[in-house]
Amino acid sequence: MKKKNYFLYYGRKLLIFLVSVLVLSMTVFYISRLAPGDPLVSYYGDRVEKMSPQEREWAEEKLGLNDALHVQYVHWLNNALHGDFGISYKYKRDVMEVIGSRLGNTLILGGIGFVLVFVLALLLGILCAWYENRLADRIICKVGTVTSCIPEFWFSLMLILIFSIELKWLPSSGSYTIGKEGDVWDRVLHLILPMTIVVISHLWYYAYMIRNKILEEVRADYVLLAKSKGLGKRRIVFGHCLRNILPSYLSIMAISVPHVLGGTYIVETVFSYPGIGTLSYESARYKDYNLLMVLCILSGILVIFCNMVAQTINEQIDPRIKGEEALETSEVVKI
Amino acid sequence: MRQASENEKFAVVGIRPQETPQEETRQKWYKGKPLLSMVLLGIVFAGCMGSRFIMTKDPTYMDLLNYNLPPNGEFLFGTDTMGRDIFSMIWYGGKISLLIGLLSTAISTVIAVIFGAVSGTAPQWLDTLLMRLTEILLSVPNLLLVILLQAILGKPGIWSISIVIGVTSWTSIAKVVRTEVRQLRSSEYVVAARCMGGGFFHILWNHLAPNFVSSIMFMVVMNIRSAIVEESTLSFMGIGLPLEIISWGSMLSLSEKALLTGSWWIILIPGIFLVVTLLCMTEIGNYLRRQVNQKESNL
Repeated sequence: MKKKNYFLYYGRKLLIFLVSVLVLSMTVFYISRLAPGDPLVSYYGDRVEKMSPQEREWAEEKLGLNDALHVQYVHWLNNALHGDFGISYKYKRDVMEVIGSRLGNTLILGGIGFVLVFVLALLLGILCAWYENRLADRIICKVGTVTSCIPEFWFSLMLILIFSIELKWLPSSGSYTIGKEGDVWDRVLHLILPMTIVVISHLWYYAYMIRNKILEEVRADYVLLAKSKGLGKRRIVFGHCLRNILPSYLSIMAISVPHVLGGTYIVETVFSYPGIGTLSYESARYKDYNLLMVLCILSGILVIFCNMVAQTINEQIDPRIKGEEALETSEVVKI
Repeated sequence: MRQASENEKFAVVGIRPQETPQEETRQKWYKGKPLLSMVLLGIVFAGCMGSRFIMTKDPTYMDLLNYNLPPNGEFLFGTDTMGRDIFSMIWYGGKISLLIGLLSTAISTVIAVIFGAVSGTAPQWLDTLLMRLTEILLSVPNLLLVILLQAILGKPGIWSISIVIGVTSWTSIAKVVRTEVRQLRSSEYVVAARCMGGGFFHILWNHLAPNFVSSIMFMVVMNIRSAIVEESTLSFMGIGLPLEIISWGSMLSLSEKALLTGSWWIILIPGIFLVVTLLCMTEIGNYLRRQVNQKESNL
């Protein structure tokens, strides 16, 4: 490929990316404003009820809430492009500051969880495929199916009931005990239960996918050839089959980054873990518009970016098919 | 079987004779079918539909004298923090949970099939545009979208919850439908039907749908499952069904209080019913997916 084409190629991708983000911001903006609910409540709290109509009007004027929707949107967009995302109505601080103070917690929970899911799924998948239809495989498959069926929130409740209330081993909420902010061990203790949920709720889906992909691969003709050449089972599975499925696994994992990282909402809410998940939940419920916009756009950017990474990986693996088609054939169905 | 016997003739030439499993002819009809799951699901389903014959108490009656009781002879599964009989609530609420699962799946499947078919038969530019839009819709966190849509629709009820869940969960089926339709759209019979003046819905229903129905069947069953999970999660978090409308999810929304008092039965019992139902559906869904033949391993 010529150099010029590369420019065009990435330029086109960048353009699609930007347009997508713009459409996303517009969609979220309109949907969130259409939803009834009083943003003043999140700004002023209960005092809103005692306000006179004049005061209300003044407050809405101040927050820029009584312009026409498109005027508000253009205003917001203009500010956003200049790096000013407004203040959070609830926390009365700059939106970026509020998010920044929470982001670390979610990155720790989701990030470590993601790495664990990635590695464990691979190992478990290989293990199952190795012992296909033998006892170990059957047991793991059954247990895996059961864990994938348990709703996250109920699983969290059961763990809290067992480990926090009955056994009193682990704390049930927050990310640290008050007064022990710097204590690393304390934070680790608070992480164990949420992390378990994050890992278990995603693990089996990917492990099962690996298992099936290996089993599919094992039925290909080249395996027969390799076997007749005298290669051992280990060489075939690790040297040939795994090499064939790893790239597509990588691209699928790239797509699922936002899934795992952003899928911590429920876990965070149940464990009152101060992360992005609880923050977005609050912002959507209490109409903290500015905060909601930024959170949605951040997660949107993450999703679109990860999709593009996956597309690029797919195109690198097999230049014959266009990346977009590869994405469809790779199974990214959430079950 | 015919395939196998023909291959045997070629065995001399070097084609491996496929092992014709003799037992297969003698296998019972239920072999390989998820019998246990079907029976269990049947029991839960029948129990919920005929809840009025099973219930021992009025599920909505709040017995203030007997609140928060552990399971005993009178209240088989105990009572919740508001004094309602959990045994009766399970069957009564199960009906609503299952109903929401079915309703929202029906909604999402209809949207998915139409969207997928339009996108699959449309010209390239429209197809790309529609797919980009789906991608953007997918990139908004599901939970936030649900909260906002719910707020737009107003007070949560059975219908509004089903609509919200249905509207937010059609994308994966739509993608599969689109891929299938794109492969089918230029086949001769579709072209022939179109030449004879067949309308869009006629072709979709008579020529396209029979071909992709088997590949989305599994996903439809899985969608029922995830709709039930979503309803219970939403109700648990306090944005779904309110306490007065009994479902497995709204029963679990009392669990915060139950955790404080250590009343395990309020959390455990509805949860077990939920998990068993979901498990049965998964098994049936997996069975539908396995229908595609598995070949012999080369290892």
